[in-house]
Amino acid sequence: MATQYIEEVPKPLRGTAMDSPHTTTGAPSTASFEQLALPLLPALLRHALWLTQNEAEAEDLTQETLSKALRAFDSFTPDTNFKAWIFRILRNTFLTSRTGIAAMRTTFLEDHEGLEASVAAGPTPEETLIHLDDAATVQQALLQLPPILRDCLLLCDVEDLKYREIASILDVPLGTVMSRISRARAALRAHLQPHFGGRP
Amino acid sequence: VITASDHLQPGQIDAFADHELPPDEVHIVEQHIADCHPCSLQLLAAIELKQATAEAGRRLDPSPAMLARLTAQLHQDTRAPKPQEQPQWKPSRGLRSLLALWPALAAALLLAAVFVPVALLRRSAAVQSAELLDQHLATLSSAATPQMLSTDRHTVKPWFEGKLPFSFNLPDASALPPDTALKGADLSYLNGHPAAILLFAMGKHQVSVFVVERASFMQAPVASTRSGFTLRSVATRDLRLIAIGDVDPPQLNRLLSSLASVQN
Repeated sequence: MATQYIEEVPKPLRGTAMDSPHTTTGAPSTASFEQLALPLLPALLRHALWLTQNEAEAEDLTQETLSKALRAFDSFTPDTNFKAWIFRILRNTFLTSRTGIAAMRTTFLEDHEGLEASVAAGPTPEETLIHLDDAATVQQALLQLPPILRDCLLLCDVEDLKYREIASILDVPLGTVMSRISRARAALRAHLQPHFGGRP
Repeated sequence: VITASDHLQPGQIDAFADHELPPDEVHIVEQHIADCHPCSLQLLAAIELKQATAEAGRRLDPSPAMLARLTAQLHQDTRAPKPQEQPQWKPSRGLRSLLALWPALAAALLLAAVFVPVALLRRSAAVQSAELLDQHLATLSSAATPQMLSTDRHTVKPWFEGKLPFSFNLPDASALPPDTALKGADLSYLNGHPAAILLFAMGKHQVSVFVVERASFMQAPVASTRSGFTLRSVATRDLRLIAIGDVDPPQLNRLLSSLASVQN
């Protein structure tokens, strides 16, 4: 896969829950940036931790993201989704980092056929329901997912972002987001299978 | 329309769990699962998996210290003035070029202010030393006999009266350093001002002592050794005494001390 170095400011998404306060003139101010960014710090850091798997790198990544976002805040459109906007900056910043470049060398699973076969032999819904209360096991299973699938699934399930917001963050079509989420869940079930006592 | 014989597609189940289905499709799925136990179980498993993923994903929690650092940095960054928030006055392109060069110009001016006077002083001191050495070497020539040939201070001092705009005293021969004797005197000009040259013999060596008004020779010559000749100077209230000769610096210092000690 040819890694993309996306540095442009993301296009805003309209009509979402994370609408933002701005100055009366409509121009975003640094005060409103802080007001918007501060509540998202834990989420940004957490996602950075998932991306980098390293605390120091995650902190640096988040710091750089905030710095870039602040510089580009003039281009942020009021009444659009700030969370999606800043998460895209986080993602793009990660892609240009050494860790990000290494992670994105992972091949797209759209090209993988083997995964579908393993998913087909997954546990039954009943087995899944019984054992999903072990969060540590699920966390380990998440770590085994290919980054490109895990990233998509975490944005959906942990950050509660909508498909189109995820598509904007990842700069992929909506269908690709749906496909990746479906594949990520199937792979997750497959990884969890031994813990459910299912078939290998 | 999904019938009881059909089953929900994985994409539909995911979209339902993620609240991404449009309202009319939600209604259809709800109608279907009411009659289809396998699909309702699949849907329940999908919702459970989503919740478990959310819980597991949030287990990777940033430390309070990291959050505190980033919060403090964010607070600081948002309060720092942005470059475009600086005063609205915009200089012309030419002036902007000059302003861009201003730090370099300021540094150059500062360097010039500091180093040019120092360099001039160093050059001046070097010229003075060279001039003193030249005049001393001139006195060493056998052809250059001093106008006043006398070892008596009472003869030498009056000889300068009317020839110099200042006066000075000479110590008694016994007050001079050991093996040192006055040989004579002459008139000269140093730095454009009249000066007295006192010639002393220190053992087999000859030393010239230039006596000038301090006001006309404010900058003391740099104590140095040049071409085997040593230069030392001393200042009194009104005079500057400069000694040069091929003797050790302590000997020159002793001679200058004896001369300075008798000045007013």
